[in-house]
Amino acid sequence: MRISKLFINQEVADHPLAQSIRARLNLPSESVQNARQVHAAIASAPDPVQSGKEILYLTRNRGAFFKRCPGTSHYTCCDYQILHIGTFCSMDCTYCILQTYFHPPILEYFVNHEDLMAELDKVLAAKTILRIGTGEFTDSLIWELWTDLSKLLIERFAAQQHAVLELKTKTTAIEKLQNLKHNRKTITAWSLNTSRIIRTEERATARLSARLKAAARCEKWGYPLAFHFDPLIIYDGCEQAYIRVIESLFSHVSAENIVWISLGALRFVPSVKTMIQKRFPDSKIVYAEFIKGPDGKMRYFKPLRINLYRKIIACIRDHAPDVTVYLCMEDDEVWQKALGFKPDDIGGLPHMLDMSAARHCNLKLGE
Amino acid sequence: MDSKASDGHQGAENSSPDSVARADTVSLTEINAKDATFRITTRKQFEDLLDTIQSLGLLHPPVLIENSSGYSIVCGFRRIAACRQLGWKSINARIHKAGADRFEIARLAIADNALQRPLNLVETSRALNLLADTSPDQQQFKEAALSLGLPISPSVVPKALEICRLPLPIQEGILSGTINMSMALELGEFDAAVASTLVGFFSQLKVGLNKQRELLLLLTEIAKREDISVQQLIADKPLQDILQNTVIDRAIQRQNIRSYLRQRRYPAISKAEADYQKRVRQLKLGKQIQLVPPKNFEGTTYALTLHFENRQDLSNLNKRIEKILEHPALGKILKR
Repeated sequence: MRISKLFINQEVADHPLAQSIRARLNLPSESVQNARQVHAAIASAPDPVQSGKEILYLTRNRGAFFKRCPGTSHYTCCDYQILHIGTFCSMDCTYCILQTYFHPPILEYFVNHEDLMAELDKVLAAKTILRIGTGEFTDSLIWELWTDLSKLLIERFAAQQHAVLELKTKTTAIEKLQNLKHNRKTITAWSLNTSRIIRTEERATARLSARLKAAARCEKWGYPLAFHFDPLIIYDGCEQAYIRVIESLFSHVSAENIVWISLGALRFVPSVKTMIQKRFPDSKIVYAEFIKGPDGKMRYFKPLRINLYRKIIACIRDHAPDVTVYLCMEDDEVWQKALGFKPDDIGGLPHMLDMSAARHCNLKLGE
Repeated sequence: MDSKASDGHQGAENSSPDSVARADTVSLTEINAKDATFRITTRKQFEDLLDTIQSLGLLHPPVLIENSSGYSIVCGFRRIAACRQLGWKSINARIHKAGADRFEIARLAIADNALQRPLNLVETSRALNLLADTSPDQQQFKEAALSLGLPISPSVVPKALEICRLPLPIQEGILSGTINMSMALELGEFDAAVASTLVGFFSQLKVGLNKQRELLLLLTEIAKREDISVQQLIADKPLQDILQNTVIDRAIQRQNIRSYLRQRRYPAISKAEADYQKRVRQLKLGKQIQLVPPKNFEGTTYALTLHFENRQDLSNLNKRIEKILEHPALGKILKR
């Protein structure tokens, strides 16, 4: 997706990073007083969500850069810390919650990195095990073309021993990660799906083989890896297709270098269904067997989720018996039936992930 | 002149829109009955007028407006059709000049219908559209609508305006009482052939709005998932077998249709529900005990409700619960 218009909040018009991004994009920019003016520019478009992906708004983050993962009640959350670098995404996945999460969604990037780094310094000073990621409200690496934030973050994380940074992406924008001093404190992570789902539901994203090749290169550069099968999408033949993805995954990277693999079946707030029907009328993913969960989100009927998890986990275990596998936003029953244990049996999901991060990324425990 | 009566408006001196019309005799061949610009009524039959007109003549002459090749009808579509049927060659009519105020003519056309009887939804829609097309501004539109007994609520008018623009099968569905405005507008999203099939489907089942919505959702989602049209789905043998079974009660027919579609849309969920019901039946809970599963089988907590009137009753239930606890069906329910 190409950026066709640049808006810069007048407060940051002279900020060196805003100037730098503007120069790299080589686009005329419009100075605005606030986000409302940007919203107005896209609100009248036939597809405001699409327009929001083509407009970049540079501004200052006036709130906190760190947020807790917005897990929902009734289901086990990984307790991940979000480093809020910007919002929305230039890629266009049918199921993306960000289409309805922001009103209206716009590609927004915070240029006040000095504040971000100051807040990060404070967080890291606590010297507790933390898993921090930038890929919750956006894709971690879509910004690589115009910014050097990943370099800044990777080098900062490399200089400490208690926290890991997870860069989660569906791109192959890894070139700038080569030759960085990362000290294995940055996990490069890919969201994976079957080729069919990537082709039909994940528009403008990298192909599966390209993602895996990028992961293999990052491994070669010494980065620990992670993979997220999220969302798993049920369709005729999906089990075999996911098994092929797993086989391909382990033919590209070594199991020992994988910090974790997460599995999460497709779930969405009801408004996403309407959005998918409107923006992607050919998509059939919302016509599977969904029920409304206690958190108000639509989820596959539980036995269907358990069945798919079991098959995928069995395949992962065949290739990598010791790799840390976890379920994203599932309850104890699903954990027990799919993985054979409940999070509390192993001290809780956050603990399980902390330990895996500590092992793979050489974190210091108990200080 | 073939007509035998007039309404006596000729030469009236008041300032009503009709007062500027002239009375004249017009050949029926000069009247373009296909021009429905001012047509409000949805009634096409005119047989009920034949006897009266034949015996008493036209008590109320139709109102016409000049056009480039003759006349268009403003009021009296059915009367003129009846006169044609009776073999009349000409009629008495009140005639407006081509340049007459269209807004006033529109109000006349609407009043001729609305002041005699309640308008149905399609007629209301036609009336509102006619006013909207001819009124000089929004304020005059509102005032005219109000005086003619038409809806003026901002939440209703836009929807009502849509109705007469919908494909004819949908309008016919409204007129036959099969669907209401809300469903009509939903069906307006489909092409005319699909809408027509759906109206026919609802008409055959005689279901209310909520059930129509449920069936529509099931039909459209199955069709999308299976890459078939809604028409193909309705024409499928299993559905047709149920629809064509005239021996069974209509309520059971409706239930069978819903059940079939639900099983096709949600096979795993339907099977789990059926299995659960089967096991609950095996438990023989009786009327005093209810076992409620977690909603959508998503949670893990079941609820047991007991109904009793006294200690003895409760004690008896306690014994039954002990039996239920040992029943293998309970184990299967809880194991899931």
